[in-house]
Amino acid sequence: MKLTLKVWRQQNSQEKGRFETYQVSDVSKDMSFLEVFDVLNERLINEGKDPIAFDHDCREGICGMCSMYINGRAHGPWDETTTCQLHMRAYNDGDTIVVEPWRAAAFPVIKDLTVDRTAFDRIIQAGGYISVNTGNAVDANAIPIDKHDADAAFAAAACIGCGACVAACKNSSAMLFTSAKVSQLALLPQGHPERKQRALNMVAQMDKEGFGSCTNTGACEAECPKGISLTNIARLNREVLVAGLSSE
Amino acid sequence: MKWSQFFNTSIGKKLLVGATGFFLCAFVIVHLAGNISLLKDDGGEAFNTYAAFMGHNGFIQFLAWGLKVIILLHAIIAIVLTVQNQRARPVKYAVKPGNKTSSWYSRQMAVMGSILFIFLVIHLSQFWWAMHYGDIGTVSYGAVTEVGNLYEVVYAGFAQLWIVVLYVLGMIALSFHLIHGFKSACQTFGLNHKKYNGILNFIGIYLFGILIPVGFAVIPVVIYLKQI
Ligand code: HEM
Ligand code: SF4
Ligand code: FES
Repeated sequence: MKLTLKVWRQQNSQEKGRFETYQVSDVSKDMSFLEVFDVLNERLINEGKDPIAFDHDCREGICGMCSMYINGRAHGPWDETTTCQLHMRAYNDGDTIVVEPWRAAAFPVIKDLTVDRTAFDRIIQAGGYISVNTGNAVDANAIPIDKHDADAAFAAAACIGCGACVAACKNSSAMLFTSAKVSQLALLPQGHPERKQRALNMVAQMDKEGFGSCTNTGACEAECPKGISLTNIARLNREVLVAGLSSE
Repeated sequence: MKWSQFFNTSIGKKLLVGATGFFLCAFVIVHLAGNISLLKDDGGEAFNTYAAFMGHNGFIQFLAWGLKVIILLHAIIAIVLTVQNQRARPVKYAVKPGNKTSSWYSRQMAVMGSILFIFLVIHLSQFWWAMHYGDIGTVSYGAVTEVGNLYEVVYAGFAQLWIVVLYVLGMIALSFHLIHGFKSACQTFGLNHKKYNGILNFIGIYLFGILIPVGFAVIPVVIYLKQI
């Protein structure tokens, strides 16, 4: 296949960026989306040009690094798929593909398609943990947990912190991410002692980072590669409501 | 967390928009139930008696003023959030997803809300202002004497085609605003549960999204048609 790629190029967070157009030929349907960028980058390096900076690590859909906004969709057109798992059979010969970085005030561009997602780390630091005394490992079944709660906590814990929810949301809201991180702990007994402070502190940090608020459009859920559900946002809203009404 | 801090968080503000939104949803039901009597062919007896009762009952007057405060609160907090949301993405995308990942009306809440606000300003100055501060004629029906003849004012208003068109447009905005708004407010209050989502969706779409706006829109249209 022959493809036209329009890629966002930006030297650093200060510089204004622009689109650069590249023609790539000999693209196989079996290649992954990132492999097309590898091939293009090799060519750019051989030509003595600056290769396109993009994030990637595991290339198997579990690390959450491969942020690319492709033709108006976070991680491209496939549901529940990261960019590294997107394959070129999604495209046809002659297609034009526009690739942009995640766009959010809270995710400043570092270079080209790489953005700084440490705002997510600071939300976790604000309360996305449990305080435990270390020591011998406790027997796994020492605390009885309802199977439904365990399953829901596990589903929330599938969030890989990729930021597609923020990228897809018209408000750049981080509610789906934050709600997954609050939910995985709020659903389990180990998370209960710090429950109220956790919800309030993580939301306060989320606001401080400059993410927008939720208008329940559902774009985050539609684009999340891990299928994190909007029920988590409802749970976060309940956690914050109860904590806000009852904490001093 | 203090109240001031709580209502300064994004979720705190959303809860205020949702709570005031729910109040407004309850209001539109009552308002429509009362206004439907405008269509009765009784020379305005039912409607004018109802309007007089609403205008003189102390508790209802308190609610009526509260309603205006609530509309303003709802609109102001919603606009503050909308501006913050705009600022959260200073550089926009070159390619947008359109309706692939979210519904059109869910993204137009501020637009539909603003149309509603303009509609409400016109609506209130037309009827509410006339009833309370304007110079309108009075009528008597048996035991009920000397009540303001708002019925006549309404019929005169809805004899003009552009006003009828304006009301229909206002109700289209209300429909889209509430199809998303009712469901959204439920989610904001954490009401998202497999067993209840079906009925909440039904109420949001059919009661608030269709029945109420169509019910309101029918009144000016029928009154206009009666008079041509
Ligand atoms: C006065 C003009 C109005 C403006 C400017 C306005 C604006 C808004 C905005 C921007 C939102 C938030 C958008 C979102 O969550 O997606 C909203 C939500 C809502 N509005 Fe309005 N609105 C107005 C009037 C009304 C009226 C008359 C009603 C009811 C009859 C209403 C009911 C609601 C409801 C139920 C919500 C959902 C709240 C939530 O998501 O928590 N609004 N409005
Ligand atoms: S909620 Fe989904 S889209 Fe958002 S960061 Fe987690 S995995 Fe990515
Ligand atoms: S590179 Fe790890 S999820 Fe794509």
